[in-house]
Amino acid sequence: MAASTAQKVAEVREVTRMERIGAHSHIRGLGLDDALDARKVSQGMVGQVEARRAAGVILEMIKEGKIAGRAVLIAGQPGTGKTAIAMGMAQSLGQDTPFTAIAGSEIFSLEMSKTEALTQAFRRSIGIRIKEETEIIEGEVVEIQIDRPATGQGAKVGKLTLKTTEMETIYDLGTKMIESLTKEKVQAGDIVTIDKATGKITKLGRSFTRARDYDAMGPQTKFVQCPEGELQKRKEVVHTVTLHEIDVINSRTQGFLALFSGDTGEIKGEVREQINAKVAEWREEGKADIVPGVLFIDEVHMLDIECFSFLNRALENDMAPVVIMATNRGITRIRGTRYKSPHGIPIDLLDRLLIISTSPYSEKELKQILTIRCEEEDVEMSEDAITVLTRIGMETSLRYSIQLITAANLVCRKRKGTEVDMDDIKRVYSLFLDESRSTQFLKEYQQEFMFNEVTEDEMETT
Amino acid sequence: MASSMNVAKTLSSVESWLQELKSAKKTALVQDACKKVHFIFTSGTEMVEEYDLKSNELLVRKWKTKTTLGGAGKWEFEIGEQLCLAASLEVEPLRESSLNPIFTRKDTKQSFQWRIRNLPYPMGVYSVTVDNDNRCCIVRTSNKKYYKKFSIPDMDRAGLVLDQAAVSIAHANNTLIIMYKKPQEILKMERLVQQEIQKIKASKDGDVECNPS
Repeated sequence: MAASTAQKVAEVREVTRMERIGAHSHIRGLGLDDALDARKVSQGMVGQVEARRAAGVILEMIKEGKIAGRAVLIAGQPGTGKTAIAMGMAQSLGQDTPFTAIAGSEIFSLEMSKTEALTQAFRRSIGIRIKEETEIIEGEVVEIQIDRPATGQGAKVGKLTLKTTEMETIYDLGTKMIESLTKEKVQAGDIVTIDKATGKITKLGRSFTRARDYDAMGPQTKFVQCPEGELQKRKEVVHTVTLHEIDVINSRTQGFLALFSGDTGEIKGEVREQINAKVAEWREEGKADIVPGVLFIDEVHMLDIECFSFLNRALENDMAPVVIMATNRGITRIRGTRYKSPHGIPIDLLDRLLIISTSPYSEKELKQILTIRCEEEDVEMSEDAITVLTRIGMETSLRYSIQLITAANLVCRKRKGTEVDMDDIKRVYSLFLDESRSTQFLKEYQQEFMFNEVTEDEMETT
Repeated sequence: MASSMNVAKTLSSVESWLQELKSAKKTALVQDACKKVHFIFTSGTEMVEEYDLKSNELLVRKWKTKTTLGGAGKWEFEIGEQLCLAASLEVEPLRESSLNPIFTRKDTKQSFQWRIRNLPYPMGVYSVTVDNDNRCCIVRTSNKKYYKKFSIPDMDRAGLVLDQAAVSIAHANNTLIIMYKKPQEILKMERLVQQEIQKIKASKDGDVECNPS
């Protein structure tokens, strides 16, 4: 009884839970068909047909897994979907392929050298598929008992009884385990396996002995034999870990010294070499596979000349992942030098890159993106409001008009409306300046701001 | 258990096991009235044995191997049991309740001995059989409450065949005691191991390793 009420409470909570919405949460893939042609509107992607098709070709290359160390540059004006394309690629790669996204400025840290940060990012993007032995518990559920404390507060206590044809064991449950058992709706008569280390539950089906209970059950209900022998078994499972994770495991100080050392920081070169050798050995023995992944460096113009020359060399390594970079700069100074170069990237590195360019969205595409975002952010908007918003987007920027969606929705809710209309958009448009109006304003009233007592000439001499 | 099985695969006679012990890096320490010997084998596997100082009985033998990816593993007990408290349920997703039967091994001079506590059923319920194909013994209960397969790593290391006639069981105070009479080869091997261990100089508890000059 207690279990069933607990279940109900958990369910209710799940429905009402608010998901936080990110800038690219509507992207679910690249939106390509089997022939790699881009569908006009699909999986949250709109327009950029050429760029998406190019990304699709790269994706095939990654999936084949044969070619290492290729690099791709996505170049285009701000707000033309560069990051969206990279996210789409990550989504369509699936769970098993490592995808690491960093921003160019992330590697500048006082605790770690730039090249170490880059190396770690590289090694995070290479997966190793390997067999490991884990302990699993496999049996038929005899009884689940979950007790909540009488006060209603505090941790729940639970017991789970499992059996095989030969034996029966009682387990004490942790809070997390109780939650996942209620979530999976495990009940007496189910055959389950539980990974002992992670607590992951897999339902195999119902026990044959329960086949005669005329319960309401779906057509998918599968009947399984009760397992034999011992409850706890050792089983080999295949899973993917990244090279960086293996690095970290092996560079932890062993013994009591571990208490005094920080978690990671820089990883020694020797450790990496040892691991590379070990991985090569596993590969030859057929124990492990390498899964090359993707490293995405956003705002790549923030890297400096040292990083670029490091990248040149790192890309030649046969363990290198496919590197995707994105930039919104034109011809600009390479960081750390006085030289100018396209995209702020040295010519020798540019020469190694396949360049995909994105172009500004058309009015129709803009409208579609705004509609998708309205859906994603759960905002009802009238047709003419969207038209106005699209016009604003054309004149200012896509990002600005996307920002107005939630703001307008709030204004609408304050006046107790159900649908955002044109007046709400107008109101937020007058409340919040876009970048060009702000510049205009500053140009007109600069004299009245602080620190404008000094004239231009004086400023230049200092 | 698994670690000891691995060793058993590569070795199958008394001599090679003794050789393995000799080539291992050994340190010894006397603490809490027992002599603790720590072995590191050439494969990187660690083993700890604890002997009672008075009776010279083996109290604990535990193993630690590195995981596949190179991380530190957990101690696995071949003989004796972990006495400190298990990690709390906050860390572990689930653990066996203390109401369950607890299986430990505790040897005597003349026999291997296992004790299964928390087994309240009468004597007639239990049966212990030797499965020579899988090199293990199997404990069964006719009321289907308890079942356990266990190997005897010492016999594996010595490459000996298991014998049903050597097994005997007893039941008292909610505890099932299973005994397996040690064969001559094992007794001989244990004497040789003892001689080897006597050679290691044990440092007293609280001794400082280096000489402060």
